[in-house]
Amino acid sequence: MHIHELTLTNYRNYDQLQLKFDDKINVIIGENAQGKTNMMESIYVLAFSKSHRTPRDKELIQWDKEYAKIVGSINKRNRSFPLEIQFSPKGKKAKLNHIEQKRLSDYIGALNVVMFAPEDLNLVKGSPQIRRRFIDMEIGQIKPVYIYHLGQYQKILKQRNFLLKNLQRNKTADRTMLQVLTEQLIEHAAVIVERRFSFLELLRKWAKPIHQGISRGIEDLEINYIASIDVSEDDNREKIVKIYHDKFSSLEDKEVDRGSTLIGPHRDDLAFNVNGKDVQTYGSQGQQRTTALSLKLAEIELIYNEVGEYPILLLDDVLSELDDFRQSHLLNTIQGKVQTFVSTTSVDGIKHETLDKAEIFRVENGTIVK
Amino acid sequence: MYYPEPISKLIDSFTKLPGIGPKTAVRLAFFVLNMKEDDVLDFAKSLVNAKRELTHCSVCGHITDQDPCAICQDDMRDSSLICVVQDPKDVIAMEKMKEFNGRYHVLHGAISPMDGIGPEDINVPSLLNRLKDEEVVELILATNPNIEGEATAMYISRLVKPSGIKITRIAHGLPMGGDLEYADEVTLSKALEGRREL
Repeated sequence: MHIHELTLTNYRNYDQLQLKFDDKINVIIGENAQGKTNMMESIYVLAFSKSHRTPRDKELIQWDKEYAKIVGSINKRNRSFPLEIQFSPKGKKAKLNHIEQKRLSDYIGALNVVMFAPEDLNLVKGSPQIRRRFIDMEIGQIKPVYIYHLGQYQKILKQRNFLLKNLQRNKTADRTMLQVLTEQLIEHAAVIVERRFSFLELLRKWAKPIHQGISRGIEDLEINYIASIDVSEDDNREKIVKIYHDKFSSLEDKEVDRGSTLIGPHRDDLAFNVNGKDVQTYGSQGQQRTTALSLKLAEIELIYNEVGEYPILLLDDVLSELDDFRQSHLLNTIQGKVQTFVSTTSVDGIKHETLDKAEIFRVENGTIVK
Repeated sequence: MYYPEPISKLIDSFTKLPGIGPKTAVRLAFFVLNMKEDDVLDFAKSLVNAKRELTHCSVCGHITDQDPCAICQDDMRDSSLICVVQDPKDVIAMEKMKEFNGRYHVLHGAISPMDGIGPEDINVPSLLNRLKDEEVVELILATNPNIEGEATAMYISRLVKPSGIKITRIAHGLPMGGDLEYADEVTLSKALEGRREL
């Protein structure tokens, strides 16, 4: 799939911008603080309805403007359709093919995007939250129902934590409501964990050979799911439900003591091992980088296999972070099949035949000069 | 201030209603100025009376002008069947159907710890008392199919289950007359879960 036209209105530092893109590779060149990342971000927002940089949608609206709008013309399975997302202080409106989608899960997934930004190098060494976000976003764009379960889970979790805080103050109060919320929570938790397991199985399948390629055959990548309960990836949903049940009932007093929910998918994590060693703790900077790159490239193949078309790849300021071998490995992998956006301060350091054919955009303070 | 005080007060009052913004409020206020005085008096009276004369039924909690309400007083109705709903408007919706011949219990809300609403803050205690005093065979839980409604239904069922009263939950699924292809995945998966043998 690709995006052939993008229009930004009052978006961050862009007043009004309309661009036509090349199907293959687009390079956005500019000094720092001119708006390269903002442009990359806008394509990401168009796909996911939220930014990868901030949870506050308000920041996307240009200072002193009422609203911000992103419109993209998408080509998917030889069909062209517009996607539109609009932000105002009242909230956001997402339109697919001119029709407003009340549920974001009906919108997300229309456009598949894989972004690789400097922050993604933190995927390996950063906090568990970053890895959970990674896995949730990726499953969400392949299986939109997952977003619904995740949303329900978070709402119930919030209710349950409020109730636990109340019970913490009044320990003798009736706990029937807690058990009700636990049951509701488990229903969604089990679905989430089960989906994550099947996603990981696919991710592993693609990431392993890719990682071997980037590391010239000397590194073996393993991805493990670290659950807050004692569960195996072969367990089916019923089994997961039962394990959660047992664990929650044994933890009840402790949870009331602490006034918060102690187990569940919101506490789980991923671990990456290279040649049997945990990359997060023992890996070199280079190994952590290679791991992050393998995961992103695996994602591209995974989406191709699940959706039937390659996603759009956004490389925000990362090419310069990779050494020559990794750079050309990356560019060779995507060559000709994935519509790619590369942002960089200069193309001088990057030598690859794909860049010769690229469409070049120069960004200067919120405007594009070709 | 552009408007003389009486009309600006009227505009302010209209803005307090749900779904009425400043523009609509101005339009309604000016419309009132042109209405016949009798109609305006009638309108004002209905507003006051609706507020003053309506109370909640001491048995089921439904809005009524007589206590107990007409439904609770109706001997033709099956008192062994109680349908639990969240809102008086839900009773009206059920009544429009003209298929249900039992009685109701209106909770006036759903349990939500986040908003500080516990079981005691809605009509759950009065429901439990009612089940003790009356001969009830079946309790139909018709709270809304969202997290809070679902939690409230589960909570009530846990409390009532030991008494041996039959507890049922209304079905979720596809709207009648609709097309399968337009149903969202969540509704569809619920409909599949609740399938029955023919």
